[in-house]
Amino acid sequence: MGDGPRYLGIDLGTTNSAAAVFDGHEVTTVRNRDGALLTPSVVHLDRKGRQLVGARAYRRLEKDPDNAHGGFKRLMGTDSTLAFPAADTVRSPVQLSTAILEALRQDVADALGFMPETAVISVPALFELPQTRATAEAAEAAGFTKVELIQEPVASALAAGWRADDEEPGPWLVFDLGGGTFDASLLETRDGLLRVVGHDGDNFLGGRDIDRAIVDWALQQLADDGTPIDRTDPAHAAALRRLLTAAEEAKIELSRRQEAELTVFDLFDGPDGPIDVDLALDRTTLDALAKPLVERSLKVCRALLTAHGLTPPDLRRIVLVGGPTVMPAVRERVAEALGAPLAQGHDPMTLVSRGAALYAANAALDARPTTDAPNPQDVRRLWLQYPTLSSDLFPHVAGRLLDGSGPAPKAVRFAREAWSSEWCELGPDGGLVVMLELEAGAANTFAIEARDAHEAPVAVHPSSITVVQGISLADPPLSRTIGVALASDQVQVYLERGTPLPAKRTFTHHTIQSLPQGSEGALLTIPIVQGELERASHCRLVGRIEIGGEALPHALPSGSAVEVTLEVDRGGRLQAQAMVPALDVMFEQVAHLMAPDASPDRLRGQLTTLLTRLSAVRSTAGRRGDTTTIDRLYDIEWSLQDAALALDAALGGDDDAAQRARRTLIDADATLDGLEQAQSWPQLDQEAMLEIAGTGRWVEELGTQQERQIYSEVATAAQQARQARNGSALQRQLRVLRDLKTAAYFRHPQAWTWAFERAASHAHQCTDVPRAQQLVAEGRSANERGDQDTLKHVVRGLWQLMPAPVQAEAGAFQSGVR
Amino acid sequence: MTVPLEDLASNPFFVLGLTPAASPLELERQGQKLLAMLQVGLEAATSYPTPFGDHPRTAEAVRQALATLRDPARRHEAEVWFDLPAPSPPPRQAPRWTDLRERLGWR
Repeated sequence: MGDGPRYLGIDLGTTNSAAAVFDGHEVTTVRNRDGALLTPSVVHLDRKGRQLVGARAYRRLEKDPDNAHGGFKRLMGTDSTLAFPAADTVRSPVQLSTAILEALRQDVADALGFMPETAVISVPALFELPQTRATAEAAEAAGFTKVELIQEPVASALAAGWRADDEEPGPWLVFDLGGGTFDASLLETRDGLLRVVGHDGDNFLGGRDIDRAIVDWALQQLADDGTPIDRTDPAHAAALRRLLTAAEEAKIELSRRQEAELTVFDLFDGPDGPIDVDLALDRTTLDALAKPLVERSLKVCRALLTAHGLTPPDLRRIVLVGGPTVMPAVRERVAEALGAPLAQGHDPMTLVSRGAALYAANAALDARPTTDAPNPQDVRRLWLQYPTLSSDLFPHVAGRLLDGSGPAPKAVRFAREAWSSEWCELGPDGGLVVMLELEAGAANTFAIEARDAHEAPVAVHPSSITVVQGISLADPPLSRTIGVALASDQVQVYLERGTPLPAKRTFTHHTIQSLPQGSEGALLTIPIVQGELERASHCRLVGRIEIGGEALPHALPSGSAVEVTLEVDRGGRLQAQAMVPALDVMFEQVAHLMAPDASPDRLRGQLTTLLTRLSAVRSTAGRRGDTTTIDRLYDIEWSLQDAALALDAALGGDDDAAQRARRTLIDADATLDGLEQAQSWPQLDQEAMLEIAGTGRWVEELGTQQERQIYSEVATAAQQARQARNGSALQRQLRVLRDLKTAAYFRHPQAWTWAFERAASHAHQCTDVPRAQQLVAEGRSANERGDQDTLKHVVRGLWQLMPAPVQAEAGAFQSGVR
Repeated sequence: MTVPLEDLASNPFFVLGLTPAASPLELERQGQKLLAMLQVGLEAATSYPTPFGDHPRTAEAVRQALATLRDPARRHEAEVWFDLPAPSPPPRQAPRWTDLRERLGWR
């Protein structure tokens, strides 16, 4: 490696972690202090609080399972803690991840000769906002001054596609089955630009689920032999963890051999002395145990392809990433089911870290320590923006001359060996834009030359820049739609899935009730949710903006405007702000980002409710002879059984299982909701017929040319949805139809008078009746005068005072805004 | 529906200052150049002309425009809207209800 920039990428995995460095030419995976490329994501604390990380800690999982923990990545963003009884302490998942990152940072320092200051860290594509934020916190705690996050499948794709410009065009799939998460990404490389077409995945599917399936099998074998282990008994938790470690080792061994021993001595004390486990596991049994999990991952892949209008034969190739993809049965099944060749020559265990290092170059994150060398007095500084990694052979550099005391340059040019740009005269604002010419597949260093009005050389800082030519990454897309839950249990979408990151959006909401000043306990809650589902309560709550009465300079009346801004950076980190114009107060960083409570008791209650609903849907479907619905109910029932098993494990102290159960219940709830909607199809269909006709009339008479064109498309789509009996698609089209009708309706000269009369008739139900009565009086007077502007103002004021439906409010995470 | 009802000015071709004749490479190059210019605050990049007047250009709008035009189906849609004339003002009259019954499916 030369003296140029160094770009560090880290794969912070559930089971193993790895670091790689890119120097502009090659990517090198960094070996740890044990000489290995992979560092187990395990931490051990002894009774004196001394910490072991990596392979040394992993070895303690067998001997001292109470004081060694792995797999904590799956708990990131939750308020769970892991106990280390010997040291009489607990650690959060963030603290344990920090320990892993500190160890990797030191390994990189040993390899490079300096302590890296910046890094790119990979996270699963479907990590929710709390998990993403927790990862960034761990990196900062490990001493990194600047960190960017990259989605794991994007990193894999970048590493696999790096300088693969001779590839045939067409989509390809990254199948990333990690220790704890599964990501499927559909990608396309065109003109050297890597684009993520779409992705999907399962945050709770990974190699550890195969380990669990092996443990379940082992428990069954032990029970058959008269040694039952109760997984709901916390006293058996340590024994189960040891069994899990043994299962993982047996699984890895079976990738090379046909049979492996699953041996744990002195697992726990039985009535007749210590119990030993000694079972033989063969590859056929393992493949059978893993099969349902592999099929789940394939289902995700097929759904992803369908969502983008593709079928498996359209795929050019598949890149396999993650430890479980080393299993022969997984490789064979994926290739067979998706019908595309597997990409060869990539190490599935280190591909993510290598891609993260390449992305660090893309994000211009040089890991070298920043030098504080003072800028010489007679050197003028240039502020330059350019791609450090470019697929284009002719990228632009834009810049501006900063204030300073040295001689000001009049013109600037960029030169490398055998090429030089024209002299670029600085604009009146000191600006410059220059097109560079790159040598393909190389790190191109350009000297920056400057001259004054008399063409005499002038020194500028920086004096050179480096641009690497190779595959580069289009803006990463947002993996899940983000919005605010409203009191009506609807979602105000801020950023839709697929929005290029970074992105930022602001919407104005209105409070649904008054918030008294200074009262503790009075709280305005603005829930932030992630997901694509119709009802807010079906989406995942990922944070809350909470404004307490004690923070207010004076009372906030019902119907007050609150401007909420949500901003997501390239790595998926969220910033939230709430501005209350009436108070002239900005509430910043008020999002409490924690994965929701997953107490087994609460989840058990949800499970019972879902089973009751499932029974009702089945009963209706049975009466109607609806076999399609009955078939789908079997799937839901299966997942509810899975959730019940996970809840048993949660009672035994397995927090990870509790989170898994939470997710399964939310998914089952949404699917059941869809089926319930389908059963109410006749009413929806009737409503749609009336809406299509009614909207057509309004748009035809009062719509713009564009609105009429859109109506024609939407009405056709709505008719198709009616024919296909697709409830959710029809609901979507109905929303657009209502918007079109509203737009046309309000062009009618009498529209605001009608709207006023309607709103006035509900004034007695408003949240602030005296204010509503005042508005009604103003409205009557304005109507008589024909004052349309005042009338509009009055109607909007009355709308804001209307109560939200009480039932919906309870389901929308106690949202205090509409 | 990616084109907002009354906001044809946000057509991604207008945002990037190019026409539907631009190749994917030209779009990417222009997008990268505009993002760099906006980052350092060059005046020339902060607005773009449209048939409906000048509009402010932001980095978010440039990124969104690039993302839209990278998708062949959405690019085609943007090309169609690019060529449409400006909307005419709406008529100011009440709707006629003569054939409502037929439209509702009653005969």
